[in-house]
Amino acid sequence: MASDQLTAGPLVDHLFRSRAGQMVAYLTRLLGPEHLDLAEEVTQEALVRALQNWPYSGIPQNPAGWLFRVARNVALDALRHRTLTGEKSAELAAEHFRHADTPTADDAELEEQLRDHELGMVLMCCHSILPPDARVALSLKTVGGFSVREVARAFLADEATIAQRLVRAKRQIRDSGIRFELPAGEDLIARMDSALEVVYLMFNEGYAAQSGEDLVRHDLCGEALRLGRLLATSSVGTPQAHALVALMAFQAARLPARVDAAGELVLLEDQDRTRWDQNLIALGFHHFTLCAEGAEVSSYHAQAAIAAIHARAHDGRGTDWKLILGLYDQLIELSPSPVVELNRAVVVAKVHGAEAALAALRPLEGSRALRNYYFLPMVQGQLLLEIGDKPGAAQCFHQALGRPCSEPESRFLQRKLAQCESH
Amino acid sequence: MAQYMLLLYDDPSGWKTMSPEDMQKAIQKFFAWREKVRSQGVLLGSHKLADDPGRVMRGKGQVRVTDGPYSETKEVLGGYFLIEAPDYNAAVDLARDCPGLEYGGTIEVREVDPMAPRK
Repeated sequence: MASDQLTAGPLVDHLFRSRAGQMVAYLTRLLGPEHLDLAEEVTQEALVRALQNWPYSGIPQNPAGWLFRVARNVALDALRHRTLTGEKSAELAAEHFRHADTPTADDAELEEQLRDHELGMVLMCCHSILPPDARVALSLKTVGGFSVREVARAFLADEATIAQRLVRAKRQIRDSGIRFELPAGEDLIARMDSALEVVYLMFNEGYAAQSGEDLVRHDLCGEALRLGRLLATSSVGTPQAHALVALMAFQAARLPARVDAAGELVLLEDQDRTRWDQNLIALGFHHFTLCAEGAEVSSYHAQAAIAAIHARAHDGRGTDWKLILGLYDQLIELSPSPVVELNRAVVVAKVHGAEAALAALRPLEGSRALRNYYFLPMVQGQLLLEIGDKPGAAQCFHQALGRPCSEPESRFLQRKLAQCESH
Repeated sequence: MAQYMLLLYDDPSGWKTMSPEDMQKAIQKFFAWREKVRSQGVLLGSHKLADDPGRVMRGKGQVRVTDGPYSETKEVLGGYFLIEAPDYNAAVDLARDCPGLEYGGTIEVREVDPMAPRK
């Protein structure tokens, strides 16, 4: 009767989530992209069976192998059923399936294969026929192992909207006959660019999440980093992909220091740098070295270089602001945007002083993109405070408070406002 | 010490939309609970029962196999834990923080008849 010989130790963090992505990828490759729905159902069923069994039996010796074996059996059952009802494509898929090996996920070669499947899946989700917001949602759902509700929560969107977006995307995949195989040539380059964009967007969405907010939003950074590394270290990895990973790793390293013990926002220059994650910084430098191998300099390169300088500096004063300013100039040439201009102005203040920065900000006041962004008036307020114009600064902080911002940000602005009113 | 059977009934239909992350959390809660039960030295065994149809036999002479007396409800007997506890209340206390309850299931706590002859 005793069934306690199995290990009841802890499961690897996010094991289900990451294996779910791999199972969907593995099944989609075998079943064909037109059966993506079935791949997802089968994966869910395999995980539900683990949930039903493991509480009683304990964790199997090889949890991933168990999941893949169950997924394979469930898929074969489903295909048998569909074949009986006369579904032609199910018969073909079943045939394909019987000849495929079951991944046991316990040796390096199989892990390697699973990574290839995942890569194929990401590139499939990032096909140009899909609208960009569908690419992100689909990547998170299929490769990332997020549920529809989690995708919705992560993007502060409505669950029904996301569900609909996914249904539509899957229909587009089916109707246009997108293949699972890796694309080549121009198509590969375009798909890779699109995939990097998806990863970048995912990361920024997670990075924008505030402390205390839904943990799912914070997980976006982790998933983006994982997918970025998958792309960068794959057979089709590019220097751009390495640059993006470096950028994300440097940024993510600072996350723990972004709020203090009281939950208050801490600006970069005031952060306790001992709280920066040194492992992530090391990872960042590893990929930063690799990104220098190509001839092309992308906006990811410039951003990664800026983040690298911050990561290396011991404090705000030890930062090479002139070098950063040069990189911002390069970034503006590569991908001009008002947000980049705004960030550049902060650096202008460090190099040329507050007056020069205020002058650089003036043309941005009419920008539509920044109209609802609290950051512009906040920066202006800080600069005015620096040159002693307290009434002008107060006006800016008031304006910033009138725009959407998080609780810690709003408290930060209130503190600044109080500073303007003190003597 | 007396032996108790904890019979776990659950409704698996709610799990179809559960995220992988949440499923893993649920399993980890079960393990934490198992560890608690075991650390008190009383977990004798546990088994998951198969979901396949054909759970109940009935009839005299002509025996029929059906899906069970509860086929009209969605809750099914998912599995059981056999534990040892000083008394019924102690067994109930151990069952009280079983995650099965948190996920909408019910638990039936039954004492193994102490009068029954033991091996």
